[in-house]
Amino acid sequence: MASAQFFGTPLRKSQRVAGYLFVLPTFVLFLGFVLWPILYTAYLSLTSWGGFGAPRFVNFDNYSRMLHDPVARRALVVTLVLTGVTTAILTFLGLVTAVLVNVIWPKVGVVVRTILFIPGIVSFVVSAVLWKLIYDPNIGTLNRLLGAIGLDSLQHPWLADHKTVLPAIVVVTVWGGLGFNMLIYFAGLQGIDPNLYEAAAMDGANTVQQFRHITVPSLRIVTGLIVSLGLLNGFKAFDVIFVMTGGGPNHASEVLGTYLYSLAFGTTSGSIPQLGYASAFSVVTMVLCTLAVIAQLWLTRRADR
Amino acid sequence: MRKSLLGKSFATFVLLPFCLVMAFPFVWMLLTSLREQNTIFNGPIIPRKFTGSAYREAWTSIEFPLHFWNSVWITSVTVVGVLVFATLSGYAFAKLDFPFRNTLFVLLLTTLMMPSTALIIPLYLELKSFGLLDSQAGLLVLYISGSAPFAMFLMRAFFQTLPDELIEAARVDGGSELTIFRRVILPLTRPGIATVVIFQFLSTWNEFLIANTVLRNTDSLPLQPVLFTLMGQYSTNWPALTAGLTLSVVPVVIVYVRMQRQFVAGMMLGAVKN
Repeated sequence: MASAQFFGTPLRKSQRVAGYLFVLPTFVLFLGFVLWPILYTAYLSLTSWGGFGAPRFVNFDNYSRMLHDPVARRALVVTLVLTGVTTAILTFLGLVTAVLVNVIWPKVGVVVRTILFIPGIVSFVVSAVLWKLIYDPNIGTLNRLLGAIGLDSLQHPWLADHKTVLPAIVVVTVWGGLGFNMLIYFAGLQGIDPNLYEAAAMDGANTVQQFRHITVPSLRIVTGLIVSLGLLNGFKAFDVIFVMTGGGPNHASEVLGTYLYSLAFGTTSGSIPQLGYASAFSVVTMVLCTLAVIAQLWLTRRADR
Repeated sequence: MRKSLLGKSFATFVLLPFCLVMAFPFVWMLLTSLREQNTIFNGPIIPRKFTGSAYREAWTSIEFPLHFWNSVWITSVTVVGVLVFATLSGYAFAKLDFPFRNTLFVLLLTTLMMPSTALIIPLYLELKSFGLLDSQAGLLVLYISGSAPFAMFLMRAFFQTLPDELIEAARVDGGSELTIFRRVILPLTRPGIATVVIFQFLSTWNEFLIANTVLRNTDSLPLQPVLFTLMGQYSTNWPALTAGLTLSVVPVVIVYVRMQRQFVAGMMLGAVKN
């Protein structure tokens, strides 16, 4: 194939030249601002560097330091737990709401879809600030609502307690991400052959059985996509946590993104940036994201069979 | 699930309260932005008296128009830049035949899985060494290079739906590849472009991490980092804070409502092709 193209007709040749020229600008940007940063951060993760002078090569010290750093371990665990829980909830709720919206009267469905989707189009900063106000321990609406319906005992400093801070973050993430998943599942539902349901109904399958044996298997590829996007979004989580808690209280909501950011661009003034150690977290994040994509390719391939 | 009346009623019964909860934060944001400052501690949740004074305060006291304009400017340039790169490369990957086409395509797609949290350190250092730190030009380069591959992916999927015969015929007529692209292809590309525009608009307008890191000079900041600092500044002036949030959301909602159909279509395209 390739050789036939290399020695092709003049028509082919002009296509080849044009092809490379058209791709070139994007590729140059890619080399300069994606590939080079990836390689550079991998290199930096093997050094110790405060940002001045030359980086000092330290081999895998940063990675072994990570294993002994309680904050790093905490950040890794929190990242994995938040990602897992959020992805599970988002996938489940996304499917359930999509099925319900699909059943409902079409006109009502459009309104519901819009209401569920709007939280996903505003920035994470806006949603984080908004929810921070709602969670406010003194005048926050959540506590006031609880007080108003007589549940004073449940009032709580939601973001300041290490037991409730993670569930509080999950709520915000689910609130923002649900509409997207619902919409993708909804589109997937439109692609299922209605005859399947009719045949199943004639065989006496009830609604739950139809859902389990037709809807869920037919949506396997969509589910693979949603799960892998959920994992990717979880591994790169930053904005919501940075704005709402900054990783606190006392690192209880620290994730890889917020920790590497504070190591590199330190919120506490006067501290020396630890660019080498922070870069090691970048590498871990990239590895996790790559695994999420590989998992999706694997799931899709399995679903194709 | 059967679409019986029972099923419909059941779905409504479940979805209605759910929608109320989902919509609550925005309703609350609007109500708070319209209430008087001295009623946030003890007033009822729905204010008795509405006032627009918080909007005036948010608009004037933090140079809101300046940052709003920065966001408009940065977002517009990014959208245009991404479109130029993405239509060219997307077309090449969809319709032109050249060696290593698929390898290059897959390589470029790795961008999609690299989060900005992981790349922020080298990108910061890179801009610093180019002397582009603290300049909107540097931010634009990062935005365009980070977003072009996804837009390229969308445009390629769109170009693939155009018939090959169209291009073959133009080639037989002796048009150069660039002429064919400009005269024959681009005029047909509007739906694809619309999809990229809305995606890019939303993601650039909402971007926080990179802007907050590479720009330090307050005057050049777009809205998102400013909203973040606003939170500290107005920690008790909730009407002004929520008014600022509301104002920042207006363009996003307008674009979404006006281009909803393309957005959903583009999402499906992206989702299915993925």
